Amino acid sequence: MVPLPAYLVLGALLFSLGMIGVLVRRNALIVFMSIELMLNSVNLTFVALSRHLASMDGQLAVFFTIVVAGVEVVVGLAIIVEIFRSRATVNLDDVDLLRG
Amino acid sequence: MPPASDLALLVPELWLAALGLVLLGVDLFVGEQNKRTVGWVAVGGLLLALVPTWGLAGAVHRPGTTVFFGSYAVDGFAVFFKFLAIIATTLVILASMDYFRASGDRQGSTQRFEGEFYTLLVFTGLGLVLMAASADLILVALSIEFVSLTSYVLAAYLKGNPKSNEAGLKYFLFGAAASAVMFYGFSLLYGLTGSTSLYVIAEKVATVPAPALTVSLALMLAGFGFKISMVPFHQWTPDVYEGAPTPVAAFLSVGSKAAGFAVLLRVVAVAIAPSGLDYVTLIAGLSAVSMFVGNLLALPQRNIKRMLAYSSISHAGFILIGVAAFGGAFGNTGLLIYLFAYMFFTLGAFFIAALIEARLGSDDIPDYAGLSQRAPGLAFLMALFMLSLTGIPPTAGFFAKFYIFAAAIERSPALLWLVAVGVVNSVISLYYYVNVIRTMYLLPPQDPARIQEPAVLRTALWVTGAATLLLGLYPQPLITFARAAALLLP
Amino acid sequence: MTAYLPIFIHLLLAVLLTAALLGAHALLGGRRPTVAKDEPYESGVWPIGSARERIPIRYYLIAMLFILFDIEAVFLYPWAVAFRDLGVVGLVEMLVFLGVLFVGFVYAWQRRALEWE
Repeated sequence: MVPLPAYLVLGALLFSLGMIGVLVRRNALIVFMSIELMLNSVNLTFVALSRHLASMDGQLAVFFTIVVAGVEVVVGLAIIVEIFRSRATVNLDDVDLLRG
Repeated sequence: MPPASDLALLVPELWLAALGLVLLGVDLFVGEQNKRTVGWVAVGGLLLALVPTWGLAGAVHRPGTTVFFGSYAVDGFAVFFKFLAIIATTLVILASMDYFRASGDRQGSTQRFEGEFYTLLVFTGLGLVLMAASADLILVALSIEFVSLTSYVLAAYLKGNPKSNEAGLKYFLFGAAASAVMFYGFSLLYGLTGSTSLYVIAEKVATVPAPALTVSLALMLAGFGFKISMVPFHQWTPDVYEGAPTPVAAFLSVGSKAAGFAVLLRVVAVAIAPSGLDYVTLIAGLSAVSMFVGNLLALPQRNIKRMLAYSSISHAGFILIGVAAFGGAFGNTGLLIYLFAYMFFTLGAFFIAALIEARLGSDDIPDYAGLSQRAPGLAFLMALFMLSLTGIPPTAGFFAKFYIFAAAIERSPALLWLVAVGVVNSVISLYYYVNVIRTMYLLPPQDPARIQEPAVLRTALWVTGAATLLLGLYPQPLITFARAAALLLP
Repeated sequence: MTAYLPIFIHLLLAVLLTAALLGAHALLGGRRPTVAKDEPYESGVWPIGSARERIPIRYYLIAMLFILFDIEAVFLYPWAVAFRDLGVVGLVEMLVFLGVLFVGFVYAWQRRALEWE
């Protein structure tokens, strides 16, 4: 039996990795993957806590997080594709029409 | 199993959801030239949704009334935001119809998808209603995400327009990251209290160690702060407002912000407050920073939409005063009054920006020169909205600010400094708001031709203008209504 | 141990069925090999080549719609597990849920999102 803190620490590490990815990487797709990583760390935390607390709410939350992540993929990739069509790059530093 | 009577309390939501689906069907049957029909059906359906909402307003004022195992609140607070969301959505749809018509020749392919645009707006309106009523962390997360996802699409709606695409991308990446952080905060709060229901959390939160709770609150604030464009989660605001279609920017500035505040308030006042954690200092600090950052960055703006975006950030700061002061007799109502009044004059200002953009193809404030001669009615309304945004009597803005300052003074002497910051910021904001009025009235027009005002957009404008003035002159009904709605805790 | 008996039977049946089908095919089916038939099959796409090839954007649209309608299964499983406890109300709720998705599907269909050209 793996103790609860192990799961929580792993969740926190994955979350931090995702956060760093969002802040550091400049490719829109990689940033997006980092966000998905953060959402999965949330799932891990929820499931581990749900097991520890013997309550179903956490697992319920995971179902919805999965759906949210899936829908985000659809909407996000659609926008990224549109960006790529209009300027043939997904590098965030080149997407700079709006500033001031 | 939830009793069937629960469904009777959800009539407005069910109605809005059905309306959205019906709109999809209508969209399939009308030709590309008549997409406005979808808009009119949406407006009609939204106005009809006010009827069951009004019925609820009479029936449910008991705070803490929930359905579906305590996950969904149907108290007066939720009903208040139902009104706000429905009215805001209706006005934005009215404004969009002429915006697309007037700017259609320049933007080409929007027409084919116009029906989708109205449908998305109605669904976003439904999302706002759900946000304000969610009493369970899962539902909070879902409803916020519902609003976000439709908003991303709306922001990127002008397909061939690189600026709109860019607005969509920035909004999406920022929003998705912020909600992921917020979800993590939810998972921690769930772990600390063992429940996702806000009202159950409220009972257990006192035993939670303060540092852990603080971390969880800070993470959650990222998500809420994103929705209300609070510093330091505000960076997306100017870019998205500038790039998105102007009615969408108006909707984000009013609808998302109001619902974001509703969620923030429900989570903080219901679930966090009983812990004894000093969240007031934190909120007050964020409020002061938001006011200063928003106002100081608004000063050098030339683009009206960017200026309104920074103004939106500073107003988030003002409204946060109400969150910090929540709990007192004034505080509870002050915040609701501010959000309701703010809806009208902000929508109005954005609608004028939309009209000018559609007619002149420009968002630059210098192009507003001589508007008083080219379109006297528009110039007068814009001046009214600018004064109201500053908070000068006899407009709704003055009355809203007055109430929210009074709330802070009444709540605690420790908030006096925040009131002082608020007053200083009102004075700073005078500069850039009045600059617009000066441009319109004192500078000569570059082109003396009259500006045509499309009929529907003009209607939406006069509604917002009349409300701005009326709420300033005779606020009593709103005060009564907000007072009934403000009770939140069981 | 007897609790796992149904699973073993299930496995056995699966193996037998597969063997029967493949065997029937080998015995009864004709065999006329051509060059094209001997190529490895990878969903109709030529499997060898540069990994940096660009893929038609239409794949993306189909994939996007697939994800949307695929994810609903997440909700179908828990509902199926608790089906008896939820009873008629659960069934109606699920039908409403599927109905909403169906409207979206019809919309995508009618807007020609499912057509390749």
